Amino acid sequence: MKRYSDLEYLKLSKGQKFLYKLESFFLAIPAAIGRFFLGIGRFFKKLGLGIGREFADLGKTFKEGDWKTRGSYLVMGLGSMARGQVLRGLMFLLFEAVFIVYMVLPQGGLFWLGKLDNLGDQGVHKVTENVFGQTVERVVYGDNSFRILLYGVLTIFFIIAFIYTWRLNIKQNKIAQDYERSGRHLSSGRDDLRALVDEQFYKTLLALPLTGILVFTVMPIVFMILVAFTNYDGTHDGLNNLFTWVGLDNFNTMLGWSSGGTSYSAAFGEILTWTLIWAFFATFTNYFLGMFVAMMINKKGIKLKKVWRTILVLTIAIPQFISLLYVGKMFAKNGLINLSLINLGWITPGNELPFWEDPTWARITVILVNIWIGIPYLMLIATGILMNIPADLYESSRIDGANAWQQYTKITLPYMLFITGPYLLTSFIGNMNNFNVIYLLTGGAPTNAALSTAAGSVGHTDLLITWLFKITMGAESKYNMASVVGILVFAISAIISLVVYSVLPSIKNEEDFQ
Amino acid sequence: MNNENTVMENGQVRLKRHMGLKASNTIANTIIYIILIVMSVIWLLPFVFIVLQSFRCESTWQVGYVVPQQWGLDNYINLWKSDFKKWYLNTFIIALVVAVLQTIIVLCMSYTLSRFRFKMRSTLMRLMLILGMFPGMLTMIILYRVLKDLGLTQANAVPGLILVYIASSGMGYYVSKGFFDTIPKSLDEAARVDGATRAQVLTKIILPLAKPIVIYTVLTAFMGPWGDFVFARYVSFGTSAGMNVAVGMYNWLNLDQIGARYTMFCAGGVIVAIPVAVLFMCLQKYYVEGVTGGAVKG
Amino acid sequence: MKKILALLLVLAMVFSLAACGGGSKKGTGYDITVWVPELAVELTKQQIADFNSSNEYGINFNATVEPVSEADAATNMITDVEAGGDIFFFAQDQFARLVQAGALNKLGAEAAATVSAANDPGVVQAATSGSELYAYPLTSDNGYFMYYDKSVIPEEDVDSLEALIADCEAAGRYFSFEVQSSAWYIASWFFATGCVSEWTTGDDGSFISVKDTFDSPEGLISVKGMKKLVDSPIHLSSSKGTEFGSGAAVVITGIWDYETVKGILGDNMGVTDLPSFEVDGQSYHLGSFNGCKLLGVKPQQDAERGAALHLLAQYLTGEKAQMERFEKLSWGPSNSADQASDAVQANPGLAALFKQAPYSVPQGQIHGSWWDIGKVIGDDVKDATDEAGLQAALDNYYDKISSLFTMTEEEKTAWGVIGTVEGTNWDTDFPMEAAGDNVFKSAEINLFAGNEFKVRQGASWDVNYGADGSLNGPNVVVEEDGLYVVTLTITDEGATGTITLEKVGEPTAEAPVVEKTEEELNAWGVVGSFLDSNWGDKDYPMTEISDGVFESGVLELKAGDELKCRQGGGWDVNYGINGAGGDNLVVEEDGTYVVVLDIAAEAISIKPAEHSWGVVGSMTGWGEQADFPMVEVSEGVFESEAIDLAEGDELKVRQDSAWDVNYGTNGPGGDNLKVEAAGSYIVVLDIAAESISIKEA
Repeated sequence: MKRYSDLEYLKLSKGQKFLYKLESFFLAIPAAIGRFFLGIGRFFKKLGLGIGREFADLGKTFKEGDWKTRGSYLVMGLGSMARGQVLRGLMFLLFEAVFIVYMVLPQGGLFWLGKLDNLGDQGVHKVTENVFGQTVERVVYGDNSFRILLYGVLTIFFIIAFIYTWRLNIKQNKIAQDYERSGRHLSSGRDDLRALVDEQFYKTLLALPLTGILVFTVMPIVFMILVAFTNYDGTHDGLNNLFTWVGLDNFNTMLGWSSGGTSYSAAFGEILTWTLIWAFFATFTNYFLGMFVAMMINKKGIKLKKVWRTILVLTIAIPQFISLLYVGKMFAKNGLINLSLINLGWITPGNELPFWEDPTWARITVILVNIWIGIPYLMLIATGILMNIPADLYESSRIDGANAWQQYTKITLPYMLFITGPYLLTSFIGNMNNFNVIYLLTGGAPTNAALSTAAGSVGHTDLLITWLFKITMGAESKYNMASVVGILVFAISAIISLVVYSVLPSIKNEEDFQ
Repeated sequence: MNNENTVMENGQVRLKRHMGLKASNTIANTIIYIILIVMSVIWLLPFVFIVLQSFRCESTWQVGYVVPQQWGLDNYINLWKSDFKKWYLNTFIIALVVAVLQTIIVLCMSYTLSRFRFKMRSTLMRLMLILGMFPGMLTMIILYRVLKDLGLTQANAVPGLILVYIASSGMGYYVSKGFFDTIPKSLDEAARVDGATRAQVLTKIILPLAKPIVIYTVLTAFMGPWGDFVFARYVSFGTSAGMNVAVGMYNWLNLDQIGARYTMFCAGGVIVAIPVAVLFMCLQKYYVEGVTGGAVKG
Repeated sequence: MKKILALLLVLAMVFSLAACGGGSKKGTGYDITVWVPELAVELTKQQIADFNSSNEYGINFNATVEPVSEADAATNMITDVEAGGDIFFFAQDQFARLVQAGALNKLGAEAAATVSAANDPGVVQAATSGSELYAYPLTSDNGYFMYYDKSVIPEEDVDSLEALIADCEAAGRYFSFEVQSSAWYIASWFFATGCVSEWTTGDDGSFISVKDTFDSPEGLISVKGMKKLVDSPIHLSSSKGTEFGSGAAVVITGIWDYETVKGILGDNMGVTDLPSFEVDGQSYHLGSFNGCKLLGVKPQQDAERGAALHLLAQYLTGEKAQMERFEKLSWGPSNSADQASDAVQANPGLAALFKQAPYSVPQGQIHGSWWDIGKVIGDDVKDATDEAGLQAALDNYYDKISSLFTMTEEEKTAWGVIGTVEGTNWDTDFPMEAAGDNVFKSAEINLFAGNEFKVRQGASWDVNYGADGSLNGPNVVVEEDGLYVVTLTITDEGATGTITLEKVGEPTAEAPVVEKTEEELNAWGVVGSFLDSNWGDKDYPMTEISDGVFESGVLELKAGDELKCRQGGGWDVNYGINGAGGDNLVVEEDGTYVVVLDIAAEAISIKPAEHSWGVVGSMTGWGEQADFPMVEVSEGVFESEAIDLAEGDELKVRQDSAWDVNYGTNGPGGDNLKVEAAGSYIVVLDIAAESISIKEA
């Protein structure tokens, strides 16, 4: 493709400019993907080098270290304590003690790690007894695959944390030793504490939030990724029937790479297509209509601005499970809307509008209802931004004879797009995973006969996320397949984000705004 | 109209355009009013219907009309007699605690990422962006099991839910970080020069300026728990005492209960919606400031 | 910060470990959780209180009764069995899932006997998997029939689908029949034309096979009928009684909607059986499922608690409790005595259900996926434009049903070790991997002395090797505890497969404790290469006929079959022809035999079986009661004693109370003999003439 210089570009007609932009966008995609993989390569190279450096440094520190430093290789915090940093040293020591105790406890780290390779081998067994004149089977539970996997993962996390802390302890020693040698003052426990509200205040601030994220977000995600490689489902619940590793079987089934699994892959393809269509329309209808409504309300001379806004934001204020469930029922074949139309004589019984019965109608209806739910939010955002656009821009354009449409396309829209670019992306991804709207409105209906698999029925309005839910709660409780869907959703979201991020002209420079 | 005007003399153009503008403005405004009124009707009707249904006494199931034939408070009285008040209290406690703690966490997180430049900062932000792309629905099963091992499910679902809501709330720092980014850094620096510690800068300088975003965060945190029925259903796991309103009321729409509970569902909806909606309306101004200050930058 | 983070992580973990455990029991009092549908909560509390005050063992339950919908119970239980209700109500379609997931505690012999005796047989079958009862029947009303608005539908139209549709169209009212989202209702059309979908389950609740004839010429008639309804603009795919409140004139639903519909329609409510539809001039009466609700007991770790729960379950499903539920909630009882009571017979809803009964099919065990596969037929039928489209809908259905049982090529050719290995009992294949041409190796497996196994292909017995390397050879018996790798080497183009055991170490797990009851340990059985015994797959039981003399049942043995007798299903105590631990008995001639073990004589022997002949027929419930015995009066001629027969009774003569050999009027396997006039008759079998006849006594 021909690259234009700035000047040449300006000479192009509108259509050409648009085509040029579009072309550049798509041509940039391969490069962006390429950069992504190069980035991965660089990351691993850096990682390898980094690890090598760490080992070299460990050796060097040991060689050059005094007894305090060397002792710290075995007893964490020894060096710190010996050098008078008692608080720091005690923390290290305590951590090591807790780690060791945890690992060797009868049901501790080593126990779980040892079972991780096949997720348990001793299933439940039953003993028959006779009590109260009744023959009863008493169960004696053996291993629990779920717990093994869960605590196995936790233990691995813990080990990583330990290695990191151990390494930190050695680094500290090295620094302290250097300080001692050059006669500089070592920070005391009080200094350490003070730093936590000052120079290192960020550590204090982040400690709690990050711990929460680590335990309640990262760990579950790692766990669920692992589940995708097991046969964890309704018939292998991990307690009564142990589950175990199955390699890539689930992925093969989902993506149609194995002979048995065409139904999953066909369903996945269709649902993905609709998910993307839905995300596109849900995002952009809301975006433009929301902006439009905001502009109407903001227009000079429109009274009761606050009242209009208040009415519209009702849909944000009222919990969705109430409003959406109710609205969903309104659109039913014998719902309020059809019955009212019949009462008005506009349609006759038997010719009701098939809001939820016809696939195309259903898809359009969910998008329309989503507008009802989504516009107010965009309206609020747009209101704020529109008020920030310098008024003199409009004033001068008016003097230049621009009409309202021109003002919109030349000033308002570019300004909005510039500021909300990242927001658009987030909301696209958010809409791909918009569980509430679909689940509460249609539950995926109408059913797509051709795609329904043994694991559950698939509807024409199902998104990947509602499908995932159905697979989990369906007749076979296929947690493993749900995990596969989840991982694929993640992969798709990530690819879209990466491409958009690297193709959009530098989205923003963080520091510009401060 | 433009082309016509340009051929005329300057003064005339002004005048004519002014008059034309006025006329077209009135037309435009009328159209806008009409659109806004139609929209308001569409936006309000479902809620009006829900309110009307909640006062219907002649039957408890879904019917094809909206205006009750027999008005009364039966549904609200039945609501009071059911477990609803327990669920309501649960939800209220959750919402209140989450509103406070989540705000603290989100503010810590966003302030730090906005103001500090430390080694792992960009890695951290990128990591959280990536984590955010995993569908949260997937982790419900495991979170449920973790809570169960901590003894925080079923009857103890309230603290369990609070824990989970709060624990991952650090991920939602984008909006308020965007807001903090708009507060000039020079303010911090001036205070630092005067000898204030970082902690003092936060509490004395930044927080007072961040009132809109604080209120925005409190508001969204407070509203969230009212609508969660998927995860909350897992955690309460068939124990009425641990349910929140969404789970409890969602169960009413089951096949075997919908006939007897439909109008109660509407009444419950009204009671749930009122405090949330009123609170939202009162604090709307801050919400708008928070959204526009933060969301667009996140 | 890192330190704090790490510390918190540790605390979280230590805390979580400490928090494990549970169980609550005080004296003979137990804290239990009971899951019932919301409407039944109050009544159930009352009934548990009644049980507490009336039971003879002083059991006292402190029950938390939670409202959990019957539809959610299985999903919840499977998510987390440990946290599930100790006793829970559930709909029948979830039974197989629950058994498979191990969420149901088997009924003991006493409880099973009580339940079988008190409830109607179809319902008992619904709670049975393999040969064991796993749940208590709670109702027998999970079927559907027709509710209609008398002000719209004239009485004379209720039997014809076409007339009903016409009435609804004329009145602009809906005909509500959930055929677009529920296989349960869709099946109605197929049962109308005699199609079946019958599934077989094994003891672990898994499905073994299916006989499904929906995709057939009859099935095509069914969907043609269905198309009439779904194509009508007034069809509404719903089964909610509340639809009467918003425009419906006909709703096909069940007894649970009785009060709701009554509330909406009042005196205009009509209830009756389902209508008939007409295709090609022939009329078909719509069928229905006849299902039930069941009550399950969760497996317990404490036997006493489990026994107490089973007693409570028996009370809650007993005659009195079911009657109370009928009176308060209009749940139709499964208890035979309750069913016969006047009050139940007089209930209009149940009367409609009874009226529909001749056209209904007992809902047996059905594969969980069937509900999802079947429910799309309605949509497919609606979308179809011609007969080919309808046929395609059936084909699509059939493909999906059959795919539930097919294996991939890979699975079909994979080899596995199966036996009493690592706690399994001939039900799990331990996979083997190829380690060269025609050589397959297992992973490391713990094997203990006395464990037995074979190697088979494709998880089926079509191709399998045993100890001597031959196809279908005897089991390999492990002699020494250890951690082994099993290797299979196939030679002679598959004629032999040598199994070798390579010990790689000491066992890594404790020997599994095989729990056998005293009874099982003392029981004698015949085992060998005959039938499907396979030297241990199955021991054919023997009964003690006199002191120290045991006889097996009648066995069909072939020349060359070998067998022995052993005690307790193990080889510790066994007899051959020449005493304890002796040689196998070899059968010389094909025939039916009884195996005899004489412990005093330390010998086993076989003797040709003597057959007994008996009369079976409608007067014995076709086998429900014992056959009337016959005696040989002359060579090849058998006669019964005088039997009182009613007009219209039908009968046959069969051998050994089984259907393998039987005679009708026109020879072996022939037609039933019909009794023309009531009277006392003697039934005669003439084997030479290959016929049966009756003569007046």
